[in-house]
Parts: sequence; structure tokens; C-alpha cells
Amino acid sequence: MAAGSKTESSVKARAELALNDEFLRKAVRFTTERLRGGKKKASEEHGNWEEWRERGKQIRLHTIAHLDYYLNLFVDNARSNGVHVHFANTGEEAVKLSLDIAQHASAKSVVKSKSMVSEELHLNHALESIGIEAVETDLGEYIIQLAGEMPSHIVIPAIHKNRYQIADLLSKEAGYTLPPDTTALAGFVRKKLREKFLEAEIGMTGCNFAIAETGSIVLFENEGNARMVTTVPKTQITLMGMERIIPSWEDLEVMATLLPRSATGQKLTMYMSGITGPRREKDGDGPDEMHIIIVDNGRSLQLGDPEFQELLNCIRCGACLNACPVYRHIGGHAYGSTYSGPIGAVLTPSLNKNIAEWDDIANASSLCGACYEACPVKIPLHDMLVYLRRRKVESGNGNKLESLGMQGFATVMGNSSRLGGVLRLGKLGQKLVVRSGVIKTKLGPLKGWNTYRVTPSLPKESFRDRWNTLDQELKQELRQMDPAMQRRMEELVKKREQERKDGKGGNGHHG
Amino acid sequence: MAKGGTGIMADTHKEWLERLEAESRKKQELFMNDIAAKLRHPRMTEKPQHPFRGSPDFWKAFEWSVEERIEAFTDNFLSVGGHVARLETMEEAKRFMVEKAEEMSAKYVIRQNQPELADLDLEGALPESQVSVWNTDPGQYWRARAAEADFGIVIADHAVAYTGSVTVLSAEHKGRSVSLLPTVLIIIIPVDRLKTRLGEVLSAFDEAGRENLPAGIHFISGPSRSSDIENDLTIGVHGPGIVYALLVG
Amino acid sequence: MKVSLFITCLSDALYPRVGEAMVRLLAKYGVSLQFPTVQTCCGQPAFNSGYWKEARDTARTILDAFEDSDFVISPSGSCTGMIHHYPKLFEDDPVMLERANLLQSKAYEFTQFLVQVLGVTDVGAHFPHKVTYHPSCHGSRILGVKDEPIALMENVKGLELVPLPFAEDCCGFGGTFAVKMADISGAMVTEKADHVLETEAEVLVGLDMACLLNIAGNLRYRNEPVRVMHLAELLYEGVK
Repeated sequence: MAAGSKTESSVKARAELALNDEFLRKAVRFTTERLRGGKKKASEEHGNWEEWRERGKQIRLHTIAHLDYYLNLFVDNARSNGVHVHFANTGEEAVKLSLDIAQHASAKSVVKSKSMVSEELHLNHALESIGIEAVETDLGEYIIQLAGEMPSHIVIPAIHKNRYQIADLLSKEAGYTLPPDTTALAGFVRKKLREKFLEAEIGMTGCNFAIAETGSIVLFENEGNARMVTTVPKTQITLMGMERIIPSWEDLEVMATLLPRSATGQKLTMYMSGITGPRREKDGDGPDEMHIIIVDNGRSLQLGDPEFQELLNCIRCGACLNACPVYRHIGGHAYGSTYSGPIGAVLTPSLNKNIAEWDDIANASSLCGACYEACPVKIPLHDMLVYLRRRKVESGNGNKLESLGMQGFATVMGNSSRLGGVLRLGKLGQKLVVRSGVIKTKLGPLKGWNTYRVTPSLPKESFRDRWNTLDQELKQELRQMDPAMQRRMEELVKKREQERKDGKGGNGHHG
Repeated sequence: MAKGGTGIMADTHKEWLERLEAESRKKQELFMNDIAAKLRHPRMTEKPQHPFRGSPDFWKAFEWSVEERIEAFTDNFLSVGGHVARLETMEEAKRFMVEKAEEMSAKYVIRQNQPELADLDLEGALPESQVSVWNTDPGQYWRARAAEADFGIVIADHAVAYTGSVTVLSAEHKGRSVSLLPTVLIIIIPVDRLKTRLGEVLSAFDEAGRENLPAGIHFISGPSRSSDIENDLTIGVHGPGIVYALLVG
Repeated sequence: MKVSLFITCLSDALYPRVGEAMVRLLAKYGVSLQFPTVQTCCGQPAFNSGYWKEARDTARTILDAFEDSDFVISPSGSCTGMIHHYPKLFEDDPVMLERANLLQSKAYEFTQFLVQVLGVTDVGAHFPHKVTYHPSCHGSRILGVKDEPIALMENVKGLELVPLPFAEDCCGFGGTFAVKMADISGAMVTEKADHVLETEAEVLVGLDMACLLNIAGNLRYRNEPVRVMHLAELLYEGVK
């Protein structure tokens, strides 16, 4: 099974649907703006944000670079805690293991807290196919489960729905009409799911972090449903991406500083739980039996790949979605996979390694870098998008027309006299289409562009045409440079040369 | 037992788990070897140098005075919709709880089985309520007792001022359900357990070591909440919607 | 001291007035810019689309053009930012990599050079208009050019700087993105132009003609009379 199934239509077609859904756009804009503002406020208030980001990045880099050690340590410790640990190379294997455990627990129902891995595996369908009811208990997940949809945001799954749509969905479930009032709707869900928690044989969770040195899993949440799922049912299954590891509890302080602030602007989520094994013999609650399924499903393909290994540093905070101007306009479903936004655009094709098929997802970005700036562990997603595009082209899967265009581009731009020639030709050619200084035609390659804009026409002279005259004129009136400036420039050159000799060259003066 | 599958009925649960474990151990080796191969290094069996362990140094050096901690905790807890009371003695805490129970006509109260709570004799002070003590009768289904409770009463093991959080650890006498299932949660925080930073509490778990950790370590920073509907804040979605933090001492 | 102008293909072809303003303004400080004519384009359109061979073919003209320059100044944060990608682009070619590293250490965006190198924050300009500023993504995020343009504008007499709502949001240009994902790009530029209009500024100023071409194109399409200028143009007009 692919990590995050793909719908048939293109990103472009799905985006068009989203762009014409004024409500969806308003809902997504409203919430991402709130989250983005919350993050900004929380990170400023906390202070030294850049140092925290760097620390978060270093901890994640270190752990992933030594993943065989830390994951193994985690597994050994979790076993010593009495946990049954399993490994799944693929999504199918993870599903098979989950179903096997559920059947052995004679489960009629499974209550689930939010897990992106579970979404990735489409586990609910699999459970239902063998007659086991799967109940999502995170409010947002519950809503999209009732709607039969995928989450459209990593942190806020039902970001695209308004209270009226939600009231309709929940009314259907209730069998009577619920008012479109948040408190009433949440009240209904509380009551309904309370029963589910108490009767389910299995509780299933995801895993935000796994602490190698003690074999503990850590869950961040606000509603208390993950606590329910790990406290009430007799059997607990935790699905965990193989990269969720951090070495110690001390390292958790860094993650707990970065994750909630980046996700929702909170200092800490209302609940942060560390679960270390099943209930102790004399404990009055907690699961009797605990399973952890460690899932690869394409993750290990990033290991040792210098361009993509950092992808495994992701802590799933959703900040890149909230910062992304493309996500803001098209929402999550347009990405057509479990993971949306900038992280999804990189993660989905990387997990699947079928770049050819992942037609245009990586193209749905203006490469503005807002995702990188927002990322609490500094994953260069905007660079990764370019690497994906390059791999697609270099594997021979590029668009044929574009490929010809780029060859033409290189031919013209590879030589300045050819560029000069083309500019002169352009001035002749544009005479047919220029009206009052601009081009408005919607024919040919300018169609998409000119649907939203006009194009300026080429001026009488290009800069290179004009240069000689300008240069001569200025040489006559050139002033003497201020000696202080002169000195500063000389020092910069000297410093640069020294750095080059010391082998530090490359980064120059920039941050 | 589950439906259908041949073989499932045949082996006992224990045998099945043992079989899974044998498979898992075999796979563990392959899994780790594959990771090492992809990372292009020999299997790492020695603990690597971890130069960036935990928070930055400037942060580890940061500490507030007791009064600052109390103030910050209070501000944080109030800001997320929790309630805070600053009390001198456990006797005052008792009075506070009794008043609240009467005010809200709490019918069922459940508390952890801790000596500090036993000393308060809430049972005697609340004749109108049924007060149960966690895990004192093995015949009871304690989760259901906690689920029906109006009030849950716990003593914090630790608290953190900077994030406004309380830590509760599970044990035989301290159920996870008591801080989770009741409608109202009352947490007594002895002031000397209130630390400045999250890291002070977390690093204690590293020091304690795996064998000494409880099954459940729960940080609670306020009432249960969700913003999943139109980013509109709702309190009390699954966990307690009303939470009192009583700072005592 | 050889200071060279990296005009960028866009300013060369469409906005020679920007290059001219820059050259004239710097001349006032005794900086005599050279213009090596073998330069063409930084190669960004090919690089960003994944056509790295074509990007290298183009980037070579830039490396050749500025081989013996001490400072390379450009009116675009994005094209200067592209020079920062050259070491990656040539990572497999040690000779070119060395040249790429060297060029990167010499390349400055216009306001960066003015403020960081020349130490000028007040050009003595007078520009009595209400102005809003769009910080282009690559200039601010790759190069970290954030304070320089603000400092320059704050010292322009008569200039009233109105903050642009959601200023840091991309205008939707993104090179070939604007053509490939025309509708998404269109939604982005429309919103950006809406924000510009909200400020009621007479002038929109920026440091990257690609973004300004995009936003101006949308404003003209809607017949909105906001004047769109590069900061170099504004400063030069203010001192003329």
C-alpha cells in the first residue's frame, strides 16, 4: 500500500475545485491565520526562538543519524517494560498486525486517538472490513470520519468544515437535530464517545515521540481522548513511525517547547502523557496488554539520502501548512494524499519513491520558503521541492514540452549575443499584441498569466542596449569615493580572501 | 475469541504472543541492519556522543523564586480556563473542597488513596456525597466509578510554573482515571513541588531510570479543550471541563 | 576595486530603468559600476523547474561575467539568492564549485550593498508619498534582507510608509509556477493586490522586479492606479 493513497485527478484540477469553494477558502484562511498568529506570539514570548529551533534540529539530526542505535534501544527498553513490539516494513504489514491483535482481543470496537500513521494506512477501512467498529475520538477526526473524508490538515483535520456542516453530520449521527453551536456539538460528542470509550476492547494511538532510554511513548493532545484510549480499554495498540525517536526525557523538553507553540501557539497542550508499558500488576487502570507497531512504509528510503534525510526530522506540527500561501488558498484535500501542505508535497512522493507518478504535487509551490521559516526543526522543504522536480526531470519523467522550452531557454541564455538577438526579435514580435503599453492576449503561453494580469511590453531599449551611453555619461561626472567606504570595501575583500585561505569560504557575508 | 481464523482458536493467547515476539525479535535484527546499511555505517551498538542533549544551557540555568513560580503558574493556569486557589494549609484545602462539593452538589466523589488525602477525612466532611477511594476494593470496576464521579481529587507529584502544568504519576493507589474521567478535577499542589521549568521534572525521569517509571506520567495544563470546530474554543470535550489547582503551603 | 552590476535578465529586458536608477544612485557615492555584457540570466527558471543541466549552462555566463569582480550588485534578492544555490548546482564539479563559492561571497543585493557595505541608510531623498513595501520571499528569507530597505525608506523625507497586511506572504509569482499553476498563482496575486489596495498607498515598492511585475500586472488588470516601483527607482527619483 502506498503511504497516503492518491486520488486520480491532478493537483491542478483539485485546486480548481477548492479555489471555487469560497467557504472552504474562507475557513482555511481564517484558521491558518489564527494558528500562524498564535505561533508568532508564542515563539516571541518564549524568546530565543532561533536557538530553540537550532537545538530541535540538532537533536533530531543526531537521533536520525544514529537511528539504528536509538530505535534498537527503544525497542529493547519497551520490551523490558512489558510491551509487545512489532515491526512493519510496509503499510500492509502494519494493517495485518493490527487486525491480528484486534482479533485476538476479540474486539468488537476500537477507539482511536489521532494518528497520522493510521490515516496513512487507511486502518479504519481495514478494521471495518473484518467487522470491527473503528471510532475516531479526536473531535476533528470524528467529524471527518462521519463525513467519510481524509483529514485536510495535520493538526486540525476538519479545518475545511464549518459549524453548519458539522451540525448536519452530527445530527444524522444523533438521530435528532443539533444546533450549529460549538458547545452543543462538542457536548453531544462527549456523551456519545464516553460510551464508546467504556465499551471498546482496544484503544489505538499514534505516537508523537518515543523515548529511547526508557522505552516510553509520549502523546500530546488537548481533548483528553488519547488519555481515554490509553487508560480505559484492556488492550492498547500504538502505531509509531520508525523516526519518532528522541534519546531522553531531557530532549523532550526541547520538543515540548517547539511542538505546541508551532502547532497551536500553546505553551503546552492540555495533556502530555508519557506511557511506559502496560499497567503495573497492582494498578487499577491502564491497559493489560500493550502493543507498539513500528512502521517504516517508505520512511527508511530517506536514510542516507543527503537531500531528503532531514525529512525524518519532522515533528508533525503543521506550522508549514499554516504558513503556506498555497495551502491557504487550496486547503489540504487538493494535495490528494494523507499529508498535505508543504510537508505533504515533499513527504508523499518521498515515501512512495515514485516520482514519475506524483505528477504535479511538487509543482504546487511558489518556492517562497515560508515553510522553512515556520519549521521548528528547520527542514528545508522549499529546497526539497526543487530536488524532487530535478529527480523527476533527470529520471526522464519531465514534461516533454517544458523540457523543450528549457533547452531553448538554455540555448538563448547560455550566450549573451543570442539573448540580445532574441530581445530584438521580441520587440518586433510584440507589435502584434501590445495595446497601450501592455499585452492582454489570452492566447498561447500567456493564457494562464493574463487571466489574472496584464503583461508589460518590452521597452524601446534593453539595459544592454543603453549601457554604453549611460556609462559614458556617468564617467564624466563620477565622484571620488568616501575614503571610509573605500576602506570598508577593501577590508571586506581581504577578509573574504583570508576566509577562503582558511577553507571557510562559501557562506560569505550572509546569514 | 475472534471469529473465523483457523489456528487462532487453537493456540492460547500466551502462545500467540510468544510467537509474535519470536517473529519480532528476528525482524528487529533485519530492521536495524537495514537502517545501518542505509545510513552507511556499521551497526551501532555503543552509545553515541550526544552533544546537544536537552535544552540549551542558558535555559537550564533559568530559575524563578517561589513567589514568581506561584505567580506564573497561576497566570498560566487561569489563561487556559483553569481555576487556582492559593491556600496555606491542607485544612484550608479541605474547606475549599467541601465548599465546592456542596456548591455543585457533588453526589459522587473519587479520590486517590494517598495518606495526605485520607488525613482530611473528606468522607466525614461530605455526608451528602458518596466518596470512594481508588483501588481499595479489588472487586470494583474502578474505571466506571471514576467515570460516574462528579469530583476527582488528586495530589500532584510535580508542577511546572513556566507552562502552568501539573504532573500526576500512576501507581496502585493513584489511578489515571481519577484525573481524567470525573466532571470536575481538583488537584492539590504542595508548593514545594512547584518547579520553574518543564525540564526540571522531565530530567528526574531520566535520573530515575526505566525500571522506576510508572506506567502513566501525565502532565495536565488545564481543562480538556478542543478548537476543532471553526477554531472556536470548547472546554471539556473528553476530560474534565472544570479544573481547580490548589496551591498549598 | 571592481564593482559589477548583475542586471538580471528581467531588468535587462523589461525594466532597464531600474538598472539605470541603481547605477546613477551608486555613482553619487563614487561607485563606478562595470557591466560585463556576457551575463545573461542566473538560471533560476531552469533550476527551480528541475532542469539543472540547463541551469548550469546559464549560470556559467554569470560565473564568467563576474570572475574578476570584487563586488557583484544586483537589483534582485531572488537572483542574488540563486547565486547562493550555485554551490549546490555545481557540487559535483570541484573547479566550478570553487568558483561558485567565490561568487557567492561577492554577491550582494542592492540594499544590502548600500547599507552593509557602503554604510548608507540616508541617501538624502525626498519623496512625499504614501508608500507600502512588499518584502520579496527570496530576498528576505534566503538573503535575510529585512531591515535594510526599511532603514532606507525611513530616512526618505516626506515618505509615509504604511505597513502591508500579510506582507511576508508570497505574491504568487514563483517563476514557472505562475504559468503551471496559473489559478493558484492568480488567487495569490489577487489577494496580494487586495492587501496593497487596503493600505491606500499611492506607491508599492519592492526589491524584486519579478514580484513587482506580477503584482503590477494584477493591479493594471483591475485598472488600479497604484504606482509600482523598485526601491532603487524611488530613491533615485527622490534625490534627482
